Formats: sequence, C-alpha cells, structure tokens
Amino acid sequence: MASKLLIIGAGMATACLLQSLSGRDHNLVITVIGDERDCCYNRVMLSSVLAGEETPENLDMLGAACAKEAKFLAGTRASHIDLEKKQVLCDGGTTVAFDQLVIATGSQVARPPLDCSGIEGIREFRSLQDTRDFQAMAAKNKHAVVVGGGLLGLEAAHGLNKQGFVTTVLHRNTHLMNRQLDVEGGKQLQRTLERGGLSFRLGTSVASVQSARGHITGLELQSGEALPCDLLVLATGILPNTQLAAGAGLASDRGIVVDNRMRTEVADVYAIGECSQIDQQCFGLVAPIREQAAVLAREILRQRGEPFQQQEWPTQLKISGIDIYSAGELDDSAEQIFLRDPGAAIYRRLVIRDNRLIGAALVGDKNGGTWYAELIQNKQDIADLRSGLMFGRNVAQAMANAAQKAA
Amino acid sequence: MNYRDTTCPYCGVGCGVTAQVNGAQVIAVSGDSKHPANAGRLCVKGTALAETLGSGSRLLHPRLSGKKISWDASLSLVAEKLRQTRELHGPDSIGFYLSGQLLTEDYYVANKLMKGFLGSANVDTNSRLCMSSAVAGYKRAFGEDIVPVSYEDLEHCDLLVMVGSNAAWTHPVIYQRIVAAKKANPDKRVVVIDTRSTATCDVADLHLQLNPGSDAFLFGGLLNHLALEGFTDHDYIEHHTSGFEASLAASKQLDVTQVCAATGLDSQSLARFYDWFAQTKRTVTLYSQGVNQSASGTDQCNAIINCHLATGRLGQPGMGPFSITGQPNAMGGREVGGLANQLAAHMDFATEDVDRVRRFWNAKDMAHSPGLKAVDLFQAAAEGKIRFLWIMATNPAVSLPDSDTVRKALQRCDFVVVSDCTADTDTAALADLLLPAQGWGEKDGTVTNSERVISRQRQLVPPLGEARPDWWIITQVAHRLGLKSAFDFQQPADIFREHAALSGFENNGTRAFDIGGLQFLDNEGFEAMAPVRWPVTAGVRTEPLTDGRCFTPDKRARFIAVKPTLPQAAGLVLNTGRLRDQWHTMTRTGLVPRLAQHRDFFTLSLNPAEARSRGLQDGDLVRVSNKGGQVVGLLSFDDGLPRGQCFAPIHWSHQYTARGTVSELIAAITDPVSGQPQSKFANVTLQPVAVSCWGYIFSRHPLDLEGIDYWSRIPVKGGHVTLIAAAAQPSAVALRLQDSVQLSHGGRASYVDAQSGNIREICYSEGHIDQALFLAPDRNQLPQQQWISSLGKVDPDTPHALLSGLDPGGEQIGRLVCSCLEVGESQIARSIAAGADNLEALGQALQCGTQCGSCIPELKTLLNKHFSSRAA
Repeated sequence: MASKLLIIGAGMATACLLQSLSGRDHNLVITVIGDERDCCYNRVMLSSVLAGEETPENLDMLGAACAKEAKFLAGTRASHIDLEKKQVLCDGGTTVAFDQLVIATGSQVARPPLDCSGIEGIREFRSLQDTRDFQAMAAKNKHAVVVGGGLLGLEAAHGLNKQGFVTTVLHRNTHLMNRQLDVEGGKQLQRTLERGGLSFRLGTSVASVQSARGHITGLELQSGEALPCDLLVLATGILPNTQLAAGAGLASDRGIVVDNRMRTEVADVYAIGECSQIDQQCFGLVAPIREQAAVLAREILRQRGEPFQQQEWPTQLKISGIDIYSAGELDDSAEQIFLRDPGAAIYRRLVIRDNRLIGAALVGDKNGGTWYAELIQNKQDIADLRSGLMFGRNVAQAMANAAQKAA
Repeated sequence: MNYRDTTCPYCGVGCGVTAQVNGAQVIAVSGDSKHPANAGRLCVKGTALAETLGSGSRLLHPRLSGKKISWDASLSLVAEKLRQTRELHGPDSIGFYLSGQLLTEDYYVANKLMKGFLGSANVDTNSRLCMSSAVAGYKRAFGEDIVPVSYEDLEHCDLLVMVGSNAAWTHPVIYQRIVAAKKANPDKRVVVIDTRSTATCDVADLHLQLNPGSDAFLFGGLLNHLALEGFTDHDYIEHHTSGFEASLAASKQLDVTQVCAATGLDSQSLARFYDWFAQTKRTVTLYSQGVNQSASGTDQCNAIINCHLATGRLGQPGMGPFSITGQPNAMGGREVGGLANQLAAHMDFATEDVDRVRRFWNAKDMAHSPGLKAVDLFQAAAEGKIRFLWIMATNPAVSLPDSDTVRKALQRCDFVVVSDCTADTDTAALADLLLPAQGWGEKDGTVTNSERVISRQRQLVPPLGEARPDWWIITQVAHRLGLKSAFDFQQPADIFREHAALSGFENNGTRAFDIGGLQFLDNEGFEAMAPVRWPVTAGVRTEPLTDGRCFTPDKRARFIAVKPTLPQAAGLVLNTGRLRDQWHTMTRTGLVPRLAQHRDFFTLSLNPAEARSRGLQDGDLVRVSNKGGQVVGLLSFDDGLPRGQCFAPIHWSHQYTARGTVSELIAAITDPVSGQPQSKFANVTLQPVAVSCWGYIFSRHPLDLEGIDYWSRIPVKGGHVTLIAAAAQPSAVALRLQDSVQLSHGGRASYVDAQSGNIREICYSEGHIDQALFLAPDRNQLPQQQWISSLGKVDPDTPHALLSGLDPGGEQIGRLVCSCLEVGESQIARSIAAGADNLEALGQALQCGTQCGSCIPELKTLLNKHFSSRAA
C-alpha cells in the first residue's frame, strides 16, 4: 500500500529532497505544500534574475519528470500540524493527511528593531515574488538601501544596482562579509563592488526611517548621515521558521531540533533545511542542506546510510563576475600565505596550522576553493603541496611532483 | 638586400663573414666560403653577430662627466688636455691604452701620434695580456715577430701538439678544421697539454694534464730527450741557428725523473709524447694563453721553439711553432707597433729604426725608447705619474690584473678619455670623457689574423647616433694639435697605404713584415681587397723562414737557454680562461640570449673530489679571495680540473655579476721579458658563503642590486634574468629589492608565504610582464630557469597565476647545449633514450651539433654518460 509523504515548504531543501528521492524505487505518494506561488526554485540565483542575468525559468530545480512525482499545493499556507491525526491543516480549510511528514519551512529575515510599521517600501529579498516586485518598480533615479553586508545583502544590492537603483549597502561591521572574510578580503571585495557602482556605509546602521504619505523617503544613520531611500531591503541575517513545528509541540530551539538523521522526537516527522537545527547548528548554505536531503531520503525509504555529518561548509558569493570563496577559520595566529593582485581585484589567503590547511578566503579568484574545503575537512598534511597550494590542485600536485623529482 | 664580405670581430682566427644587409640592418651573417681562414664555417659567437647590433647598450654621443657634449667641444678638450698635460708634466705623463679590437688603421694613427708627434712610447694594448710573450718569444728566436705557420699546416701536420689551448671553445673554427683533418687522416695524432681536461681533449690521442706553469720543464726535457736520443737536425742547427749548446746545457738536468716531478706527469705518458715528437717530422706545436699568460711565458714559448729549431721543424709545410692569438686584430696591432716596446712596422727603438721612421713620418717629436707596458702604465697612473690616459675599445677595469689598482689609477689620473662603442662598462664608469666609437659593422679597415692574413672589415650599416671611427677621432685631435699635414687622412685606405709604404720603406728584405706591395692600392682596390697573407712585396714573394734565414743580426735563429721555474703555489691555485659562447667582458656577447645559455651565471669550478673534501656541493655559493680581492660565484663541479685548482671564467664584469672581476685576484706579476701578466695562476682561498635566500628576477632593464651578496644576470628574449643568492632572509632581501624594483604603471601581483620564505611578485602592464621576482630559501624551490627566461614573451591573461612559477605547458628542453639550433639537454636525453645512439642520429633527430659543431664534445659526453650508466 502506498505511503503518504507530506512536505511542508517548497523551497530549496524540498527540491533537494525530491531530487534525492527521484528515480528511487518507492511507493510514496508525495504532496508538497508551499506558501509561495512558485515552487522549488533556486533561491540563490534570485539576484541574478534581478540583475537581468538569468531568467526565472532557469531557476527551476526540478525537471519535469521529477516534478511529476509529487503533487504541489502552491500558494497554500500550512497553519497547523496535527500529530495525533497525522494531518496538516491549511489556510482555507484544506487538510492533508500524511504517514510521514517533512517540515521544510525555511527561514525569514531577522529584522532589526526599527519602528517602521505601516511604511511601504521596506522589503526583504527572499522570493521570486520579491524579485518580480522589484523588477516592476521604476528604478531610475531611485535610491535603494540594503541593510546587511553579508552574502544575501550583497547579492540583493548587486541585483538592485543592475536593475537601475542607486544602491547603497549599510553594514554594521567595518568590513563586508565579516563572517567569511578578513578585513583585507572585505576591503578588496568592497573596492570591486564599488567599481561596479555600489556605495557603502560601513560601521553604522539605520537609526530611523523617514516617510511621506506612507512610503519611505529616507534614512537617518547612527553616524548621523541622512540618506535618501525609496526602497529599503533588509538582509540582516536569517531566523529559522519554527512556529508551525512549535505549535505542534515539536521541540525547537533556534531551529526545529532534529537528530543527525533529520528526525524530530516524533516518529515519521522530520525537519530539513534552514528551519532545522542539529546539535547547536543551524543552516544557511545549500551544500549542507543537500547533504541533509540525501540523509533524509534514505531515512524516509528506510534505507541504511551514513548519518549527517557536521563539517566546515564553504561559503560562496553568487554575484556574476565576482568570485568569493571562504572556508574554515581565518586564524591570524596561524601561518598565512597571501596572494594579492589589487589591480585584478584579487585577494587570496590560506591559513595553515601544523601543516594542515585550516582556512581559506578567496576574493576575485576562487580557483581551488572546493579542493581547499576538502583539505580542510580531511585535515590532510599539505607540507609537500605547500609551494603550489595557492594555485589549485593541479598546479600544487605538479609542483610537488617536480620537487620530488628534483630531490 | 645585399651581401657584403667582412671579418668576424671575435677571436684571432679571423673568419670571413658574409653579412646580409637590408637597408640599415644586418639581417643575418654566415661564414664566407671564400675566406681562407674558415671556408664558410662560423662558430656560435660569429653566427650570433647580427644579434649584437642595435642601440640598446651603445654609447651614442660624446659625454663629459655624464653630460652630452658636441664632438667639436670634446675633440678640442682632448687636444687641450693632451697639450696641457704634456707641457706641464712632460711627454711621459700621457698614455694611450689600445685594443686588439681596433682596426689596423686606428692602431696606426694612434701609434703614429704618440710615438712620432707626442714624444712618448706610452702606447700599449690589451694584446699585452694575451700574446706579448709569444711576440717576445718569436723576436728572441727569429729576430722578428714572425708566425711561421698557417692554418693549413694544422691540417697537414702528422702530429699536432696543443699547449695551453682550449681551441674547441676559444678558437672553434680552427678546432673544427683540426677535427676534420684528423677524420680525413686517422694516422694524424693530437696531443693536448693542459692542466685542465677540456672540450679540446675530445680530439686528443694523448692528454698530458701537467701541473700549472710547468710547461718549460716539459719542453726543456723534450729538448734534452731529442739531443740524447739523436733526433736533432745537425745540419739545421749548424747552418741556421745559434746558442744550441747553451740551451741544451740549461736543460741538461731535465731527465725523465725531473720532468715527471715538476710536471706531475707519469713517465709512460711522458715517454709516449717525447717519442711521438721525436719520430714525427711534420709536427706543429700550437700554443695559446696557457703558455703566454705566465710569469715565465716568454721562456715557455722559447722552450717550445727550441724543440722546433733543434729538429729543423719550421719553414716547411705541416710544421712549426704556432702561437694563436686571442683577438681579431692583435696581429694588426703588432704590425703597426701598437705595443710600448715596438716602434712601428716591426721596427724597434734601435737608433737607425727611430731615424728611419722619423724620416718617413717627417716626425718632429719621436719617442726614442720603449714606453710603459700595460701593467706598468696603470701602475704609473695609480702613482700619479700618468696624468692623461686615453683608453680605446677595451675595458681594463675588468681585464687587467690587480683591477683594484686599475680602478685607483683611473680615479687618480687627471683626465681619462674612453673611446668605446659600449656605454656602460666598468671602465667607462670611471672616465671623464666618453667618445662614441663605431662598432663592428660600422667601421671600415683591415685586420690581421693569427696566420698573418690581412682581411677587410667593411662597413655594413650606417653608424648609430654620433659614433665615429677611431682613426677619425684620433686624427681630429691631431689636427687640433696643429698636426694637420701628418694626419691628413680622409679615409681608412689613405692610412692603410701609408702603413704599407712604411713597412716597405728602406726594407730590402731586412724586415719580414713588408706589405709595400700594397701601398699603391687605389680606393677601389682597397675596397675590394681580398684576404692576403703577408709579406706582400713588389717583387717575388718569399714565405719568411722557409730558407732558414732569420732576421737577427747574424741571420740565424737563436736557441734560448731556458731555466724553468715553477710558480709558487700555496694552497688552492686559481686558473682562468674563456667560455665557449662568451667574449672578453661580454659587452657584445652579453647582449645575446642564446649565447648566455651554454653557461649562464657566474660560476667557479672545482674538481668534485676537491669540493666534497671541503664539504661543498655543486651549486653552493662560494667566495674565492686573496689579498687582491674576491669573487663570489656558484660552485660548479668540473671533472676536468685537477684537485687543488679552481677555475674562473674571465668574462664577468660588474655589469653582469656582483663580484666576478677575476682579475682582482691576479697579482701584477708579469713576465720579465714581455711584461705579460700571469693571468692563469694565483694563490687563493675558497670559502662557502651561507645562503638564506635564493632568487630569480626577470626584468625589462638591468637592476641595481648593490648589497646583494651574489647576483648574476643574463639576457633573455625581451629582458634579463638575474639569479640572486643572499645571506639575508628572503623577507629582508625582498625589502632591499623594493628600492631597485622599477614599479610599473600596471598591476602588481604578489605571493607571500612568510613562514616558508617564499616571496614572489609580478609587475605587469597591458599585454606583458615588466618584472617578476621569485625568492625562496632553497634554490630548487625557484621556478625553472627556462620558464622565467620566457617571461619576456608571455602575454599574461591572469598574471597572478604566473606566481606559481610553473610552466603551464610546453616541453621542457633543459639547459641549452647546442646554442645554434637551441637544443637542450633534456631534449637530447630524451632523444638518446629513444634510440639515437650516435652523433649523426642526434643530429638527424634534433639538428644539434650540425651547425657550428662546437657542442659536439658535449654531445659525446652526454652519449657516453647515457651508455656508460646503462652498462653499469
């Protein structure tokens, strides 16, 4: 008899899970409830769509075949999970029964404490709908301000800038992407983005919002500076969406608590993606979520396999023409190798301790990034590879071979 | 496009060169098939002549204390300084120092001005450094400086004894002729006598690796042996010579035991050589700097000549004592009298000679006695006795012994004029006035090679900048001294005719040097003059010495009683010499990338066992010093050296390496007869220099690297590559280099691994690399030299990727062995491994060795190495 798998949320985690299940021998009847009009698209590429570099169609993560394996209830919000009855209640009164339930409700922007209720023009940049809205705005001579100089904020700012907005990024820290890059890398990235037309205000944040006739018109910053602003985009970090799970009595901390097989305490109920929390760790990058999806697919199919393993997940920035890659820890007290070419907007730093690579920050050229992540993860001895390490796997190995031959 | 025949400006072989000229550019050169010296052959240096032309390193304008001035002002200044110095301090306070690079016509007017009109004989030449002992030897024996042998004799002889000559490298075309002759006549024997085992030994049936400076023992013993065993030519000795008994008496005690003790040779090898010499009528002894550059060089020459006189082996085809010169026109200089102890046209300072020349020149102020020879001339300047010095076409700050004194001399001397075609030489750096002379391809006149063949060096292209011929510069100064009528020359042909006339003037067979037959050549005749061997007289031409008649007062050849002495050795002995692909102080050959590939950076060589006993490895940095100074170079293992000997090449100046002026280490010890310095022998000590930082720099222009312990620079396509080694840590070296690095306007990519000491930097502009620097604590952490040498041609897409220093692709050719066809050691090794088991096969596969052939000894070594290692 067929088993009913219900997935709440139609974001990237769900897409990954469906991909993992696709083509496998199972008798599942899969239903996906998504509150957006669009399902299973690649959120990471939204800024490229906004920038006009990609079309929304290309964001689709599921092929036609894969999409056919599930029933999608788009534009539908799940309002309550009934664990007893094994069914989910949706806005509008529909109920969907399940044998197994996956909660993939994602996250929302962690909004700064700003008094701006009732003012229009203050937005997040999370969805294809947001993208469409921004594209529909007359951007010429309009000022957009993005709060947050992390991954999401910079991607949003890039898209808005390309869209035609006069775009400024506000960032509380004194350098961009401070969680992934060091000061020099952040500065290099800033110069590169400035060359592309973005403006920055660092070490400051929004003090207050000005508006006229219910629409935002400007900002006052903590620094005292006043900025004109027609669109304020908040990209100040994310919060996992846990309300639905919490409402059903599932344990949640910052995220929905699951074990390393994505299981909540309740049998056949799982959580995955940005809404989930394993040990103390929440997730914002695609790579670990893809791992989670693979683990969960096996779990759902009652197959054996390795549990999810925590590791250093490298960060990449998705702005066309700007390579950023960051992995591991940038410990200033360890040994460092630097490569700099400011004229070409390149800054690369590798951090080594005890002949192990422990961190990498790559700006402007991310060649070798994946390999570095592997080396960091595997704690591989890089003594022989050191002289060519900076130049990627092929060069490093060729140089190591040459040195061996010479010796 | 047109073709013009001229003569190569390098060694004393004097090869004919056919230049392909397009407008103002020499496109290419090839060997002149009609020239008797080379019959179409050329060595790699000659082949690369076209690449040495260009304005890069040329002196283009007169410069006074670094500032450009006009020709008129500079010529007047020289005249004024000459006049002033002479009036205030007398004729002997002025000196000219000339060069075997000058043409005969330049030499002639300089000599005439000094010895006929300024009243001094202080004219000497850098030929003093290479063959003045040979001149003195010939003069003592024959009464005149006569080379009684030709290149054909080298081919026709049945025994060729090569003494102190690495002809394979220093006279490659002659060497090729010898190799070809030996191939054609397998019975021909070649003996090489050299303290080193060199590439020349490749052709030898017997190599006598004797102790440095023991040649006179060997040949004294030979004379003794010839007499004892009855191989002397009694008739010849009796009718044509004098002094035999005395010279034999002087050699009496040189029996086999004595000779073996002095030379370090085993009695068997010695006996074989003596036997071969005794038994072979057609024997030529070819000798060069190994014999000449000694404190007893003249005696060594005469010890050789004695053996030829004792056996009557001269003046006939295929026999004779043959001194081969180093420079293209050393012989021309000897002919005009460009040495301080000669007057002119093979006449000396005998009263009747001085009178004859005075009458011929209508000279008002003749020199009456010999002047100061090179070493003494500069010594006198250092002591303040010479106050005006005019140096033409040579670089004594690098080439003279005791170069420290030479530098002091140049600093102390009131006024130093340097006429040269090169702007930056160590000597030019110390001059007051620099005069731009025309270089090869621009100047026009004649040269004489080692076998007395006079050839035309012709103008091929218009001069660069304001360069003028040396003869013009000298005559213009003479005019300003009021000597217009004596120096009224319009062209080189005018000078040549006068020179020829002087040689024939009141000659009547009294002087072998007689080219009086050429004094009536018209301008067209001079222009078209084919190579001609002197004498050239109006009457019947007789080859000198063929009739046994010499030019001594009694017309007999003189035996010289030689008392051999050994130089005082204490510890390590320094030997010096040339490399295959370089010339003199590299002012020309140093510009050509492919000539820097056979031997690239400044090295000092030791026998591997000697080195290991001192705890040293190939490639270590070492300092060789004595109280004269020091040089710092990379240690290079050379199996051909005996233990206890260090070999240093002579070419390096401060333009090319940090401390490579080998002449600093050479004491001002000279031969008492010839005044030639003992350049091939110095007592030195050798110590390792600790290196914490190695580095390569590619740059578009030479950099100032003062303060770096070792650097050595070679030209590459589009720039220069400098190898550096320093005691300081890489980070400190990088800091020091910041000052000399010329920042480009483009980008700058850097790589710093501070903990491992790897520091790399590339400066680039649109489409090319301006500079690249690679520093590492270990030399083998540096990029391949071949790669760094290619950076001048690289159009970097991603300059920072080049910081890896790894060649992204392309077959590694390895160290260049065949410079002509640019074939490298790795390629050769691969080809050998792929089955090319002989020279012909290698030549077919890679073309290596098929052009000039000077790499053939090395190709053979590589073949042998491969097959002997396989056998083992």
